Amino acid sequence: MAKPAAKPPDSHRPSAILDTLKRLGFGAAIAVPDGWLGEMLVRVEQEPTIQLVRATHEEEALAIACGTRLGGLRTVMFVQNAGVLSMGAGMVSLAQRYQFPLLMLVSYRGTVEDPVFYHAPKGRVTEPVFKGIGLTYARTDPHRPIGPQVEQAATYAEEASCPFALLLAREDVQW
Amino acid sequence: MVNAIRPSRADYYQVLADRLPANALVVTSLGNASYLWAATHHAPENFYFEDAMGLALPLALGLAVAQPTRPVIVVEGDGALLMHMGTLVTIGAVAPDNLTVLLIQNGVHAASGGQALTNASLDLAALARSSGIARATNVATPQAFASAMSSGSAGRGAQVLVLSTEPDIEVVKPPIALDPVLTKHRFMSAIGAPRYIPALFGGGRLERD
Repeated sequence: MAKPAAKPPDSHRPSAILDTLKRLGFGAAIAVPDGWLGEMLVRVEQEPTIQLVRATHEEEALAIACGTRLGGLRTVMFVQNAGVLSMGAGMVSLAQRYQFPLLMLVSYRGTVEDPVFYHAPKGRVTEPVFKGIGLTYARTDPHRPIGPQVEQAATYAEEASCPFALLLAREDVQW
Repeated sequence: MVNAIRPSRADYYQVLADRLPANALVVTSLGNASYLWAATHHAPENFYFEDAMGLALPLALGLAVAQPTRPVIVVEGDGALLMHMGTLVTIGAVAPDNLTVLLIQNGVHAASGGQALTNASLDLAALARSSGIARATNVATPQAFASAMSSGSAGRGAQVLVLSTEPDIEVVKPPIALDPVLTKHRFMSAIGAPRYIPALFGGGRLERD
């Protein structure tokens, strides 16, 4: 029987995400919460160098994020995958059309690991829809430290001048 | 509120151009909101929407958060507002002192040809107040708008002025190309926004020149 894989060095992955955002100089976080993101947003709100804006809808959050980035703040979004499904028009006609580099940290609900049954329909279509609207994305690798994965996603967004979505598992983001 | 006799968008824009605060940043919604403002007062500190109906207001909120020392003025239409009314609640919660929202209330979807709104007679100032924006006023004349713009807006949260306006269905020809990426880069350069400086193996940062 194979030995279980060793735990990565950043074994508390939500802390590593927050530490990485601070180290990279993110100044704004725009969010619509879900069950996995709630405590992360409380922690972000306590950070003096990151201004958190809680939006009422994910497409609105996307536009606020474009505004903070336009104003010179490196910006991260925290949203659920269902929220990305509902921001398609703003994604293509604002964020992509104007080439705003945004890091999107997306809770990936509705996968086989997600026990909440009603998320399944959203999980099933998430990646096909992302491809359809031209949103570049990656799933986190549970066997690698999360900090470098966040940094690579953030770097891609800036260097490609576009939003980049990193799809997060529950252990990545739920505090 | 929509009134029987209404000024034109151009009437209000002339007042805005004449009373524009120093260092103001202006965000304009799609269609004539952008085209006419470009014709009236083109400046690098203007951010013109090409499309993305309903998203000028939230983008301006983000800009006001990122640039707290500069006045941010956004021109949004009543139809566009109805698409994202929740943004009023977010503005009320964030309460940026430097944000002035000019809502053009012409009662139609002017940018797409004048189709009827779902409800053209809402009291949008009352709606803004109930969303947590204390300073929200219906404005019926350019003179009243000039007075409101002259009264100052420092230190008391965002301000909403609802401008009762005649629909302007005929499309104004903008005097410049409203290329989106050019608009963004021109704007960010004008405000001295930091640039992303790449690093060969990751870890790039935003830095000021």
